[in-house]
This record gives sequence, structure tokens and C-alpha cells, in this order.
Amino acid sequence: MPKLKSAADLAKLRQEIQSQAKGKKVVSVTNGADGRARGSQEVVQALVKEIEKQGLKDKVRVKSTGCHGFCEKEPIVIIFPEEICYVEVKPADVPEIVSATLAQGKTIERLLYQDPNTGKRISKESEIPFYKAQNRVVLGNNRFIDMESIDDYIALGGYSALAKALLEMTPEDVLTQIKESNLKGRGGGGFPAGRKWETTRNAPGKIKYAIVNAHEGEPGAFMDRAILLGNPHSVLEGLIIGAYAIGASQGYIYLRHDSPQTIDVVNKALTQAEKYGLLGKNILGSGFDFNVELHRDIGIFVSGESTALMTSIEGSVPEPRPKYIHTSVSGIHQRPTNLNNVETWANVPLIIGKGVAWFTGIGTEVSKGTKIISLAGNINNTGLVEVPMGVTLRELVYDIGGGIPDKKKLKAVYVGGPLGGCLPESQLDLKVDFDELWEAGAPIGAGSMIVMDETNCMVNFARYFLNFLADESCGKCIPCREGVYQMLKIMNRICQGEGRDGDIELLEEISAVVMDASLCALGQTAPNPITGTIKHFRKEYEAHIEQKRCPTGVCQMLATVGRG
Amino acid sequence: MAKKKTKSTFIGIKATPEQAALLAKLQEQLKSGTKTEVLLKGLELLAQLSPDETTAALETLSADMASGSQPATSLELARLEAEAQQYRNVLQQTKNKTEGVMRQVIKQISQTDKILAHYGSDSSELVQMIIDIQHENHWLPKEALVWLSQKLDVPLNQVYQIATFYKAFSLVPKGKHSVSVCMGSACQVRGAPALLDRVTEVLKIAPGETSPDMRFSLDTENCPGCCALAPLMVVDGIYYCNPSAKEIKQIMAACK
Repeated sequence: MPKLKSAADLAKLRQEIQSQAKGKKVVSVTNGADGRARGSQEVVQALVKEIEKQGLKDKVRVKSTGCHGFCEKEPIVIIFPEEICYVEVKPADVPEIVSATLAQGKTIERLLYQDPNTGKRISKESEIPFYKAQNRVVLGNNRFIDMESIDDYIALGGYSALAKALLEMTPEDVLTQIKESNLKGRGGGGFPAGRKWETTRNAPGKIKYAIVNAHEGEPGAFMDRAILLGNPHSVLEGLIIGAYAIGASQGYIYLRHDSPQTIDVVNKALTQAEKYGLLGKNILGSGFDFNVELHRDIGIFVSGESTALMTSIEGSVPEPRPKYIHTSVSGIHQRPTNLNNVETWANVPLIIGKGVAWFTGIGTEVSKGTKIISLAGNINNTGLVEVPMGVTLRELVYDIGGGIPDKKKLKAVYVGGPLGGCLPESQLDLKVDFDELWEAGAPIGAGSMIVMDETNCMVNFARYFLNFLADESCGKCIPCREGVYQMLKIMNRICQGEGRDGDIELLEEISAVVMDASLCALGQTAPNPITGTIKHFRKEYEAHIEQKRCPTGVCQMLATVGRG
Repeated sequence: MAKKKTKSTFIGIKATPEQAALLAKLQEQLKSGTKTEVLLKGLELLAQLSPDETTAALETLSADMASGSQPATSLELARLEAEAQQYRNVLQQTKNKTEGVMRQVIKQISQTDKILAHYGSDSSELVQMIIDIQHENHWLPKEALVWLSQKLDVPLNQVYQIATFYKAFSLVPKGKHSVSVCMGSACQVRGAPALLDRVTEVLKIAPGETSPDMRFSLDTENCPGCCALAPLMVVDGIYYCNPSAKEIKQIMAACK
């Protein structure tokens, strides 16, 4: 593999890859976490074997891709260029797919997606209602890219934004563009990335760091691993561009240790990028040096907090520290460090490549671009959804998510995981927008949305989140460690039918203290599940406490069992 | 005594009167010896001698006995021998045990050395090394942690701070098969607590515990990101969507 020394080298390589792929059919199989759990790896193996057996090896290429988003129907097989999309494919279907569709171009009706409303079979992926309402600028390329192939990414125009940034722009230009685009952090905080970069850039010190936060400890959120697994180079390209703008020489990708597949894919991506000279010294002949290291960590929730994450990279336990001085000025080893989430980094090459105007054309007044939402819980189409900012929650749940299973009634949407908040049915017309959801008391967080139907008990769910947070609290500061624990004790009591008068007020009081006095964002927002559910579902709390009754029958009321 | 002499069998073995007499004498000599021991002793004496010598020996024995001297120095020797054998066994056992422990320690140390070498003995990679040790053994043996602290010149309490901070690390050996139930929010909404109850029922262990036969360890986790399969059970990395009690039993039985 030759090292690329200029933009021309990159363009030449792209042409070579594209000409090699000409005339070949491509079979993409979703082979991410969800797919694998449903046997996609076996489908890939069967396809490779069957294609060889039927003598189509030179005409067809099998791509093992990351998640496309529609987890509910995986494994999904798409045949290009026709874009025929088969859902829930089993290894037993493979011989027919090869002999009928690949060899003769015939569509197999029974494997096509069937619209549950009209009963019609849909052959193209883009026409499935789930995808139709989306705007998949970040996730869309996943279906064309084999997880382990940098060439697939380059063929789609990958790394041209990097070439543009390094060779045609100054770091200040890049910074200005990101600032103008108003790209906000996708990991939870929603802080403008450009401003963060600028602080790190202007901070004194020669050595600076840039980090990809791929920790994703929020239960119910799985977009980061989908991007990193499905399109690792988009994140890497964003990171290199960012490092150039910031003036960082060392990058880290911070991953959880319990996803071996992602670790493997990211490691391979790093090696390939190094081989092409897209990492290391003098990248694309620009004189810019940058290295990236993968840092695995144990998946605990607080590790995703910026100071805790950096302490962990230094080799200690991830305990947060006070942020009187921001990490952008004093992070890893007290050096300026910029941390952004996977999704944020993946947006950077798009902004540089397609321009600020294109990016700001998507979204609302204050929140630009798209947001990936992981839609889960009691919903028909569980999956990853990338929508332009400004889409309403109702559209998300009913148009894309396909509504609630078994014709049950929707009760609430829980936005943003344990530190987010819940929105009752009456607020479904709120828009996906950092500010709008924040004001409604349901900060978008990393973008997980758990849909709850009438059979779910809100009190019990709040108790569950509190239990999670009590477990995950690092224990460094007392308000969080003790406050959350005491709240949990009260919640446990309420759920067991032993609630007392004044419990709600007591919970509110402790919540206020924990919010005010905790050290990091985990503690400061830990009472959110309680305050949110009390605000919208006070009646359920009262039923638990006063009547010792769980309206949904989820909580097992110990106190009433004996009384019949 | 006289009664015995007339007997023609010695614990069920036919004996000529002479043989019976000799055995009786032998028994007298051994004093506390049981009949079986006497017989075995007699057979042992016989086995040591060639047929010609046997007669001579028997004659000597009877002569010795008649003269009342102490013939059974060999018996004393045998006792000592037995004792020595016993000590040897104990020693061997101790040796095996020590060797086993030493082998374990050496294995741990060499494994840890490999991990240390892989990270260039860089103490900022401490967490990574501990993750690797956990991956290799499914738990953290004390030897490995002590060695890590020595080699990296990091206080042992700092190593233990990390080892005890994360729930993913275990300081006790884990079962052969890891079973976990996802307690993430999507699973929670779709009935994870009930699934956990079923798994607990089948395995008869609570989350965080290991079965007494070391076959299964049960844990809970927070979202591996397969929410479409909720509620989720993971056994040795294989995902199962909302299995029934019967299915759980089948899955567990299939784990060898």
C-alpha cells in the first residue's frame, strides 16, 4: 500500500477503487450488534460460500456492514445496484437469494418488507416508511461500507474533506466554519463544538489532545457504536480535521471494553489509515502530524463524564473532579484537551466537505443538522433513526417508529436516559431540538428515547433509573452518593406499598440538594427521573402512597398482600 | 491357645497343623496383631525366600520362637518403613500442593509479564492491564495484582482501588459460563425484571453470585445496545430474546 502524499494521490486511489468495483453487484448484510444477535454472521458466511458455489465470485462482492438503523428487522440484506432489500434473512434463504436475485435478477417476494398498515411489499430500502421520513446524512453511508474496508469509505468520497481542510484551509478557517455551522455536542451537553475547540486552541501549552468519546454508558442509547462500527473512518476523519484546527498532536478513541467487535473494527481502521499515511507524520504532505490511540475502558456510566474520562486515560479510576478550570484548558496530564462525542466528530467531515450552508440548511433555528435517536421500548420499530432537528416526537413515534405494539396507548416518552426526563402524551408535539427539550425538562442527552405504554408504571421506572444511578455513582462526593441512595430507599418503600405521607415532598427536597451540591453532571442531574415523573405523573405517586396501589400492577405491593 | 492349635483353618485358609502352629506363634509374637496381619506377615516372610530357604526359615523361626528370642526385627523395620512411607506421602502431597500453587503463581506472573510487556510497563495503562488480566482469567488473581504493583512500582492499594472500583472486575473466581440479563431502560420497559426472576429461578443463584459447582455466574448489565431484542439474556456472548423458563432451562442444560 503506498502512502498518500497529496490530494492527487488520494483522488487517484479513489479512481482505482471505483474502477475495480465497476460492474460488480454488491450484497450488503447488516452485521452489527443487533444483526449478530440474530445470526447475521451466519448469513454472511452462507452468502460467501453460496456465491462461490454458484460461480458468481467474480461478479458479486459481499459486504459485512454495520447497523443501518432498522434493528427490528435484522439481518437485512440489500442487493446493489438494484437496492433490493430483504429483511429478517436466515441462512436457509441464502441459496435462493443467490440463484434467483443475484444470478437472474428476480425479486423474492416473501423476503421483502411488508408494510403492516397496507400489507404491501416494498422492495427498495429507501421506500420503507421507517427510512422515508429520515435524513440519514451520518448513518446513510453505513450500507455501502464494509466495516473493515477503508477503500469503501474512500470510494464514497471519504477523506476528501480532510484533504480540503489540510491542504486548502488554515486551522483558523476550519475553526471558523465549525463555529459558523453551530454544530452542538451530540453527547448530551449540547455545547457548541466550535467554541470548545477554540478554547483548546487558545489555551497555552505545546502538547494538546483530542478525544473521541465513544463510551456510551447511557442505557438505551446505541447510536455511537453504530457509527463507529458501521463507518469508523468518518469519525476518524472528523477527529483528524478537528485536531488540525485545535493544534492537537495526539488523539484518543475512548471505547468500552465489552464490545470486542467495535474494538476490532476501530483497531483495523487505525492500522489502515496509518498505512495510507492518513495518520502519522506529514499527513497528505501537509506537514501536519497526528497519532491516534485506542483506549479501552470498563463501561460504567460516570466514565463518560469528561473529567472522569480523562482521569481514566491517565490510568486512575474515573472519578470526576471539579471543573473550575475546563478540560479544554487543563485535561489529560493538565494539558489542553478537547473531547467530543462520536456523532459530533462524524458530522465534522460533512460540514467541511459539503459546506456550512448545506449543514445549516438542515434543522431548526438554534439546532442545526440531524440527530440520531435510538428509539426503543414499547414501540414497533426499534432502531436508530436519524432525523433533521425539528421533527416532532409524534412523528418519531408514529410515522417512523410505527406506533405502539398491540394497539396500546402511549403513556410517555422518556428522553435522554437516566439523566433525561419524561414527556407525557400531551407534550408529543415538542420538537427534537436541544433548547426546546431542555426547557420542557427532558434534555435530549445522547438521544435515547424509551417509549412507554399504558402498562408501564412511571414510579417504578423512576425507581429503576435511580437504582441505576445509585449503582453507578462513583462515590466521591457526598450529595450524590448519599442523596441518591436515600431517595432510592424512599422509592423502594413507595414501590412496596409502604410509602408515607410527605414522601413526595421529601423526595423533592432531597432532589433540590443533590442537584445543587453535587460535583459533576451525574449528581447534578441524577434527581431528574424523580422530579420529572413527579411533575407529570403525581397522581401515580399518590396512588402508590395513599392507596397502596400500583395503577398498572407493575409494583408488587408487599403491604397489601397480607390484607387480601 | 490349645484351641487354636487344633484348628485346621486360619481365617478361612486351610493350613497344615505345622503351618497353623507357626502362625499361632507368630501371632503371639506380634501380640496386638490381628489375624489378617499375622497371615500377611507370614506370607511376606515366605515371599522373601526361595522355596528351599522357606523350610529353613520356618525352622529357624520355630527354633527362634522356641528359644524365646526376638525374631521379628523385620516387623519393626516394616513398621518403620510404613511410617516412612506415610511421611513420604504427606511430603509428596505437600510438594504437589506447593508445586501446584507455584505453578499457578508462575503462570500468573508470566501472563502478567506478557501483559506488562505489551503495554511497555507504562503505569498509565494500569486499567488496560487489569482489563487484560480479567479477560484472561475471568477474574483477578491476587498474585497477578501483586506482581503488577511490584513491577510498575505502583502502590498495591492503587491497583486494588481500580480492581474494586469497577463492577466488571471480580476478585473471586467466576463460573465457567457467564449469564447476564440486561437491565437497560428498553429492557426494563419490556419486562427485564420478570426475565431476571426466571433466570434466578432456574439457576438458583442471585445476580452477582456463582453457582457452587462453578458452572454459572449470573450478572446484570446495562444495555449492550441490542434494544430490538429486549428483554435480553446473554449467555457466553450469545443473545437470547425474552426466553421462557423452559427455554432458559434448555439453554443452561446445553452449557457443558
